[in-house]
Amino acid sequence: MIPPNSLVFLIDDDASVRKGVARLLRSAGYESEIFASAFDFLGRAPHAGPCGAIVDVRMPGLNGIDLQKSLIQRRREEQLIFITGYGDISMCAEAMKAGAVDFLPKPFGDAELLQCVERALVRSAEQRRGRAARDEARRLLDLLTPREFEVMQHVITGMLNKQIAPELGTAEKTVKVHRGRVMQKLGVTSVAELVRLAERACITPRGRHETKV
Amino acid sequence: MSWITLLGSMDAALCFTLAGIYLLVALKQREGWEHLLFSCSAAAAGVIAELELTAVRAGTGGQYGEIIRWAHLPLWVLLVSVVWFVHIYLRAGPRWLVWTICGLRTLALGLNFLSKTNLNFREVTGLRHFSWWGRETVSAPVGVPNPSTLVGQLGLLLILIFLVNVTITVWRRGDRRRALLVSGSASFFITLILGASVSVGWGIIQSPFFVSFAYLGLIAAMGYELSDDLLRAAQLARQFRASQITLRENEQRMDLAANAAGLGMWAWDITRNEIWMTSQGRSLFGFAPSEKLDFERFRSRIHPEDRESVLDARTQSLESGGEYESEYRIALPDGEVRWIAGCGRAELNGKGEPVFMRGVSRDITRRKQGEEALRESEARFRIMADTAPVMIWMSGTDKLCIFFNQGWLKFTGRTLEEELGDGWTKGVHPDDFERCLATYVKSFDARQPFTMEYRLRRSDGEYHWVLDTGTPRFARGGEFLGYIGSCIDISERKLAELDAQRHRTELAHLSRVALMGEMSASLAHELNQPLTGIVSNAGAGQRLIDAGHVTLSELRELLADISADGRRAGDVVRGIREMVRKGETVRQQTNVNDVVRSVVQIVHPDALLRSCEVETSLEPNLPTIEGDPVQLRQVLINLVVNAFDAMHDTPVVDRKVEITTAWSGNGAIRASVRDYGVGISEETRAHLFDPFFTTKAEGLGMGLAIVRSIVESHGGAIAAENVEGGGARFYFTLSPNNPTTG
Repeated sequence: MIPPNSLVFLIDDDASVRKGVARLLRSAGYESEIFASAFDFLGRAPHAGPCGAIVDVRMPGLNGIDLQKSLIQRRREEQLIFITGYGDISMCAEAMKAGAVDFLPKPFGDAELLQCVERALVRSAEQRRGRAARDEARRLLDLLTPREFEVMQHVITGMLNKQIAPELGTAEKTVKVHRGRVMQKLGVTSVAELVRLAERACITPRGRHETKV
Repeated sequence: MSWITLLGSMDAALCFTLAGIYLLVALKQREGWEHLLFSCSAAAAGVIAELELTAVRAGTGGQYGEIIRWAHLPLWVLLVSVVWFVHIYLRAGPRWLVWTICGLRTLALGLNFLSKTNLNFREVTGLRHFSWWGRETVSAPVGVPNPSTLVGQLGLLLILIFLVNVTITVWRRGDRRRALLVSGSASFFITLILGASVSVGWGIIQSPFFVSFAYLGLIAAMGYELSDDLLRAAQLARQFRASQITLRENEQRMDLAANAAGLGMWAWDITRNEIWMTSQGRSLFGFAPSEKLDFERFRSRIHPEDRESVLDARTQSLESGGEYESEYRIALPDGEVRWIAGCGRAELNGKGEPVFMRGVSRDITRRKQGEEALRESEARFRIMADTAPVMIWMSGTDKLCIFFNQGWLKFTGRTLEEELGDGWTKGVHPDDFERCLATYVKSFDARQPFTMEYRLRRSDGEYHWVLDTGTPRFARGGEFLGYIGSCIDISERKLAELDAQRHRTELAHLSRVALMGEMSASLAHELNQPLTGIVSNAGAGQRLIDAGHVTLSELRELLADISADGRRAGDVVRGIREMVRKGETVRQQTNVNDVVRSVVQIVHPDALLRSCEVETSLEPNLPTIEGDPVQLRQVLINLVVNAFDAMHDTPVVDRKVEITTAWSGNGAIRASVRDYGVGISEETRAHLFDPFFTTKAEGLGMGLAIVRSIVESHGGAIAAENVEGGGARFYFTLSPNNPTTG
C-alpha cells in the first residue's frame, strides 16, 4: 500500500541504472524524481510527504555516505536506501548504523528494491506522523504560561496539588487553578491524557518523584 | 837510247811490277785465282816484252826464229792465264770452251817445240830492217810460214769468240762497265795479236811482233779494274771494321741488357757441338766463365726428372726448325736447384738439317717458388674451407656467388652447380627472402660488411635459422673483388630466443591478468551498472504487463534499453577478455591518444573507488605508431593503478592523476603519468623497473619490469622522476617505426 503523497528519489551517476530503476518505480506505481548527483538532490527543496531516496554509494563529488551525513545534519526526513556496484561491506555497516533503510548490492532484484522502497515510505510516513503529533503537542504546550508549564511538569509526575504547592512556593489553590487551566488549554480531561501528551511532545517530567503508594 | 828500247823496257817493267803486285795480293788473299792468274799473265807479258825487245835487235834470222820459239812459252802462259782470268773474274763463258782453248794452245805449244823453228815460221830466212818513225831501225822476220800456225791462230780465234761471248754475257748481266773494260779490252788485245800473227807471219805487214804493247791495253784495263776492286776491298774492310766495332758495341749492350734482365743467352753450334753462353748464362747454369761447353755438359745440368721433357722439346724444335719453350729445373754442382725458363729456336741449313740453335734462358726460381706458395696457400684455403664446420661462400663483383664450401653443400644437400650464381637463393625461406636480398644488395653496393639472419633449407627439407656474415674482399691495390662470408646454424639460439620471447609474452599476459585482478572490484562494478538496468527494466516490464496498462511503444523502449544495457555489459566483458587474452602481440597502426582514452574509461570505476580524479592532456595531432594496443593499454593501466596506489594516503581533494601525450617532432611520441602521491624514494628509484622488485605488500613486482619490456619492444625507453609539487611522474617514449624484434 503506497502511502499517499509519497515520492521516491533516485540518485545515481549511471544512466543505465537511472533509466531502469525509474521505469521500475513507475511500473510499481511510485512517483519518482531522478537525480544524477547528490549535489543536484540537495538543491531540491524537501518534499512534504513520505519520501524515500535510493542512493548510489560511490559517486563522483559527494558520495552516498556523505549525503547521508549531510541530510542528518539538516534534519531531513528522507529514508535512504543505499545501492552499490562495489559490494562494500564496511560501508554497509556504517550506513545502516546511521539509519539507512537498507543496503542493496547491484544487481539487485526488482522485487527486492520495491520492498525496500515500500518499507522506506512506510517508515517515512510513520516518522512524519510521529513528528506531526509531537509538533501538535508542542504547539499546545506553547499555549501554557511558564507557571502553568511548571505545574504541568509536576503534575505529570503524579504529584498531588498539595505536594506541588510547596515545590513551587505557592498555595495549593493556586496550583489547582493552574492545573485546571492547563487541562483546559491542552484539551485533556485526565492526568493520563496529559502524561501522554507530554510524552508526545517529548517533555521531560520534573520534580522529585516520590511515588507514595 | 832508242825510244823503242825505252818503251819496251817500260812496258816490261810495268808488266813485271803489276805481276809482282798482284802476286803479293794473291799470296795475301789466298782465295780466288784471279789475282794469281793476272799476275801470271802480267809476268808472261813482261817476259814477252823482253823477248820482243831482244828480237827487234836480233842480228840474224836464226836468232829471231829462236826467240820466237821461246816466246811461245810465255805466250801460252799469257793466253791461258788471260782466258782463265777472264773466266773466273767475270764468272762467265762456257768452261768447255775454256778447256778447248787451253787444249788448242797447248797443242800449239807442243807443235811449236816439235817444229824445227817455231810455230809461226817453218824457217826464218832472213831479216828485214826498216826504220820506224824515222829514227829507229828494227828487224822483222822474213821466212816461210808454218802451217801449224793455224792451230795457234785457231786457238786465238776461239779465244776471241770466247771473249766476245763473255762480253755479251756480262753486258747482258748488267755489268757493262766490267764487260767493256775487261773482256772488251781483252778482245781487242786478242784481235790485235791475231791480226799481227796473221799479217806479220804471212808477210802481209812488215812489222815485228809487238804483242806486248797490245797487251798494255789489257793491263791498263785490268789494272783499272783491279785497283777499283782493291779500293772497294779497302772500303769494305773499313766498313767491316766499323761494323765490327758497332757489332761489338751491340754485343756489349745486349750482354748488359741480358745480364740486367737476368737472361742468359746461348748459341749452340750443332755441327761443332759447341755452346756459347753469355757470362750471365754461365753463372746461371753454374759453368765456369772459361769452361768449354757442349751439349753433354748442358744436359748434365738438367734435373733428372725434367730431362726427358726438355730434351723432347729441343728435339722437336730441331726437327721442325721452330721455336721451343720449356720450364725445367737444373741442379748445380753444389746441390742448389734452380728453375729455368728457356726458349730457343733452331736454324736449319739449306738441306733442312739443324746447324744452329740460339736461345735465352731465365732464372724463374722465385716465380716458381711464388707459384708453389700460391698453390699451397690455395690448397690450404680449400682444405680449411672444406673441413671447417661453418658454411663458407664467396661472391664476385657482380653479386653472383662463385664458391661454396663442402660445409654449405653438405648442409643444403645440393651440388655446387645448383648453388652457384643465384641458385643458393632458392634455399632461403620465402618469408625472409625479401629482407635478405635487400640487406645483401644494400651492403654490396656500399661495399660494407653485413650480418643477417634468415632461414635456410637443410638437406632434409627443414628450415634452419642461420647467421650469415659477409665481408668485402679487396686486392692488394685496393680493387674490389667481391665478398666472402660464412654462415652458422643458429637455430638453437633462435629457438631459445623465440622461447624467451614466448615467455615474455606469457609473462606480459599473466601480468595483464594480474592487473585485471587488481581491478576486479571496479570491473565488477562496471558490469553491475548495466545489469542493474537490465533487471530493473525487466521487472518494470513485467509489472507493467501485470498491471494491464502498458503501451507497446513503452515496452519497445524498455526492451531497447535492456538490449543496450546488455551490449554495454558485453563490452565490458570483451574489454576484460582482450586484456587477459593470451596470444602473440598484434602490431598495427595505433593512435596513442585512443589508447589513453580507452584506459581512462577502463580505470574510471577504479578511480571512483579510490576517489581519484583522472585528467588527460593529449597532443592533438599525434601520429600513429606501429604497436600493440593491448600491450600499450597494459602499460598505461599499470602506471595509472600504481598512481592510485601512491595516493592512498593523500587527501581526497588532492588525488589527481594526469596523463599527457606529446610529440617531440623527431618522430618519437612521449607519454607520461603523473600523480600527487608519496613520490619515489632514492633507493627505490634504482630498482624501480627490476623484476620481482615491489614496495607493495602483496605485489609480485613484475608489473613495471613488464611495462619496461613492452616500451622497449616498441623502440622506446621508460623512466621515473619525482615532481615539484609532490608526487612522481613516469614518462616513456615510443618510436613510430620499431624493429621487429618482438
